[in-house]
Amino acid sequence: MRIVLEFDNVAKEYRSFASRRRLRALDGFSLAVEAGEIFGFLGPNGAGKSTAIHLAMGFMRATSGSGRLLGEPFGHPATRRRVGFLAESVALYHRPAQRLVRFYGALNGMGGTHLENRARQVLEIVGLQDHANRNAGKFSRGMLQRVGLAQAMVNDPELLILDEPTSALDPLARVMVRELLLRARNAGKTIFLSSHLLSEVELVCDRVAVLHRGRLARLGRTADLLQAGEQTEIVVRAIAANHFDGAIARDGVVSFSVPAHTQRAALEKVWALGGEVVSVNPRRRSLEEIFLEVTAEPPSSPGAGVS
Amino acid sequence: MKPVLLIAINFAREQRWPILTLLLWVLLLAFLGLVTDVHRQREDLLFVFKQDAVYVLAFSVFFGGSAIYNERRSRRILGVLSKAVGRQQYLSGLVLGVTIACGLYCFALGLTGSWTLGDAGFPIARVWFLMICLVAACALAGTVALMFSTFLNPFFAAGATAIVLGLPALAGQLLGPRWGYVIPVWELGATVVNSSFGSPGKASWFPVVLAAAETLAFWLLSARIFSYVDIAVAVE
Repeated sequence: MRIVLEFDNVAKEYRSFASRRRLRALDGFSLAVEAGEIFGFLGPNGAGKSTAIHLAMGFMRATSGSGRLLGEPFGHPATRRRVGFLAESVALYHRPAQRLVRFYGALNGMGGTHLENRARQVLEIVGLQDHANRNAGKFSRGMLQRVGLAQAMVNDPELLILDEPTSALDPLARVMVRELLLRARNAGKTIFLSSHLLSEVELVCDRVAVLHRGRLARLGRTADLLQAGEQTEIVVRAIAANHFDGAIARDGVVSFSVPAHTQRAALEKVWALGGEVVSVNPRRRSLEEIFLEVTAEPPSSPGAGVS
Repeated sequence: MKPVLLIAINFAREQRWPILTLLLWVLLLAFLGLVTDVHRQREDLLFVFKQDAVYVLAFSVFFGGSAIYNERRSRRILGVLSKAVGRQQYLSGLVLGVTIACGLYCFALGLTGSWTLGDAGFPIARVWFLMICLVAACALAGTVALMFSTFLNPFFAAGATAIVLGLPALAGQLLGPRWGYVIPVWELGATVVNSSFGSPGKASWFPVVLAAAETLAFWLLSARIFSYVDIAVAVE
């Protein structure tokens, strides 16, 4: 599989000139994103996600290590012609949406009727065709984010790097973005998606990486991560709650969760105690649980915890 | 070249309100000049013209010194540099943008100067030569300010620019006039300020050419420095 975005043992340190303080935002960070996948990039605030993205885009230089974007070292301007980028806080010039999208397209070397048609097309994709001639300076945050998406897609990029693309969007617009990402993947594009909306990431991402304190804490296929440590939820009647750890008694039934591989033993224990099984349901973990688990862990050595 | 032009025009567009205000100021003073008796008040007219001319030098430092800071603070720079635009191209766009902004002002000043001073007997060709001197001085002053603003905030960038532009002028006063040409912004400004009806002065292209060459040198230096700067961190 072709690698489109690669970080190789990257470290980034911020230095404060006045206080001589140093902050290590990334530490021994390695990651490879394959072509044609939607890759979820997660982590709490300050984990180093935006730093990693800004390094990839060439906005800053790594303190050590290296990386490649579409086969070229980070910061290669011509390569960015094949990349679409949406920053976390969308900041755009105050001018009509269509002219704005054309401006960004022209910066990528586009022009003529092709650019005009493409600008119209992407504004339609993000649902702003009726606002194409309105000044973006008067747009709401959600609309700005949609114009931001439009300018990121105007050059029909091979790789889309999106930093919190749905943070200001309403649920309808989120569904629109989700469908847009899936369509893009089906068209062979790669999407590198940084987001705090874990339910969104869970729905669309093929693989996810969780960054914690500048280090990679988890990496794997979304389905595999969610299956690992799968639990079974058992609801029983006619036994006391204190027979099982974490069991909750409510409305005459007792419910508790056990690891899937101990499910049989738990059921036999229920029957041995004279209880009656009401339901047994497999319970998958959510990304939120994995996220909380990772952020509760102490910082690991570089590369540790990668599954 | 296309991205450079786009960035330059975009910069001038973003500065449209200050530019428009300056243009209105020039037009207002020209109008006042036209309604006076130009032959009796011609020294006053020349004084106002020189004063307007010196303002644009200050504005070029202001435009150059704050360009990158404003773009970084608003984070709009990320949108531009996420495209196929190199940092050198980005800086070229800003230098050109500063020059366009100041050039528009100088053009308006040249036009109004031709009407008012021309009527009063000042050679019109000389007015336009002085405007060329001003544009060259503005391009150089703006580029020096831009260079400092790649790593300093606008206030310190303006201060550092004043020192760099002022030192050769001081050396010119103390050590001999040749030192004034080391960075010829002062010399070019002096060409404008020392013009009079009695002696409009000799048109020397040397400082203009020197300023153009130094603009190029400072632009290259700015690009070199800017290539090492992390642009996505808090500007403070």
